[in-house]
Amino acid sequence: MTLLRQVRHGFASVIPAIALSVVLLVVWELISRISKLPQFVLPSPSAIGTLLFTRQATLAQATWVTAEEILYGFLLSAVVGITIAVTIARFERVGRAVYPLMVLFQNVPKIALAPLFILWFGYDLAPKILLIVVMAFFPVALNMLVGLQAADPNLVTLMRTVGATRTQILLRVQVPHSLPYLMSGIKIAITLSVIGAIVGEFAGASAGLGYVIQFASTQMEAALVFAALIQISLLGMLFYYAIEFIEWKYLRWAPKL
Amino acid sequence: MQTVQPALSAQEEPHIQARGVAVDYTHAGQTNRVLHNIDLSVPRGGFVSLIGPSGCGKSTLLKVLAGLLEPAEGEVRVAGVAPAVAARQRRIGLVFQEATLMPWKNALDNVKLLMEIAYKDRSRDDITQRATEMLRLVGLEKAASKSPSQLSGGMRQRVSVARALAMDPEVLMMDEPFGALDAITREEMSEFLLEIWERTGKTIVFVTHSIDEAVFMSRQVYVMGTNPPRIVEAMPITLPYPRNEDTYAMPGFALASGRLRKLLKEGHGWRAAA
Repeated sequence: MTLLRQVRHGFASVIPAIALSVVLLVVWELISRISKLPQFVLPSPSAIGTLLFTRQATLAQATWVTAEEILYGFLLSAVVGITIAVTIARFERVGRAVYPLMVLFQNVPKIALAPLFILWFGYDLAPKILLIVVMAFFPVALNMLVGLQAADPNLVTLMRTVGATRTQILLRVQVPHSLPYLMSGIKIAITLSVIGAIVGEFAGASAGLGYVIQFASTQMEAALVFAALIQISLLGMLFYYAIEFIEWKYLRWAPKL
Repeated sequence: MQTVQPALSAQEEPHIQARGVAVDYTHAGQTNRVLHNIDLSVPRGGFVSLIGPSGCGKSTLLKVLAGLLEPAEGEVRVAGVAPAVAARQRRIGLVFQEATLMPWKNALDNVKLLMEIAYKDRSRDDITQRATEMLRLVGLEKAASKSPSQLSGGMRQRVSVARALAMDPEVLMMDEPFGALDAITREEMSEFLLEIWERTGKTIVFVTHSIDEAVFMSRQVYVMGTNPPRIVEAMPITLPYPRNEDTYAMPGFALASGRLRKLLKEGHGWRAAA
């Protein structure tokens, strides 16, 4: 399928979602106007929409800061996750040592670590990146590990019969086989990265969309809170679909998982 | 196309030989004997099928012959050495029920895979040329750049055969290679494999649960039974080669498959239970 046709097909398939959104917005707008709730409690969609334009300079700057945190944090969690998965798959003993600890660590409430990271690394980029990594590496590592271990055992047998080393089997059979699995882990990781960035900014920041949300709520500017929320959702979607695009472009051979 | 020689003289050493082979399988601390007292001998250039119901251990026996599994008792020789040694010397080519191709690579690259690992001193061009030759041998030279998902089940299995042949093994061991194909494609593939066999002179050990397939292709069929898993009889098939669609209509074909059915029934313990 060509990209153009894919996009057109994509548009056709999101029409119901767009229609539903419009209906919900209209209902919201009506409730907001009829109920006469103050704007700082329930701002109307039109007010939020206006703000998205009038305060876009502030929002754009904040978005850029948050986007940077998300991107670095996400990339690092991918690297960490992939490294852990490959190490566990390649070195059985290391795997036996690391895997249970990884699962144990996954059960630590990551959000509770945020204040600690602020304490250690201050208010800059580093604590946010670290928080994102601890939140997002796990789905990457787990999915990739499943993919590595699910490689066709007969193909592995064939490789062994011609004297392939474990590393050769890993690189030529297991890693390629794991890529579709990795991508589904990556997709979970990118959404967790967005959450991680916002939580990190809540815990202590002087810029970013999370910071704007906190700041705006202390000023009772609910409309600005909503505007920032919209901005962060759009940013998250952008990241998500960028990954889907990469998957579509490079992993066309893969069966849909 | 060369015609195949009649059965080799008794003095010549068999290409594959098993004597008194037994296999144990341990699961959850319990050891079960999954093969009993197997004697088997395949002459060089022979075509032997192992046939039997599920659970008779035919795939297990193939694994033993291929050097993938150590028997608990008995002795196996492939080309005069232990099967694991023969495998290391790349005398054994394997084909499985699934084509086991890499979906991320095209047909040509799939055929190249094992050569790229094994032939460290050969040039890339050399390997590509050999892979192309093999694809031509299996009639897929035009599909070289196609990915496995673009090929039919039969074509994928041909690629898998080409990959095995690329290493120039003496023996081709095939575990129900056409088991996942539809009946029409199966018959097509049987003729295809016979042609490859006649052209290359490889020794073939073929695991199947299809009576027609076994009779149509083999020079000898080892009939296996359950309770206990063992070889019931080594049945020669004397139909002339080359075999083709007319073979199915020969009286000898009907006789052989009839006899085979009877042996399978006896081996399965069906009569004894009734």
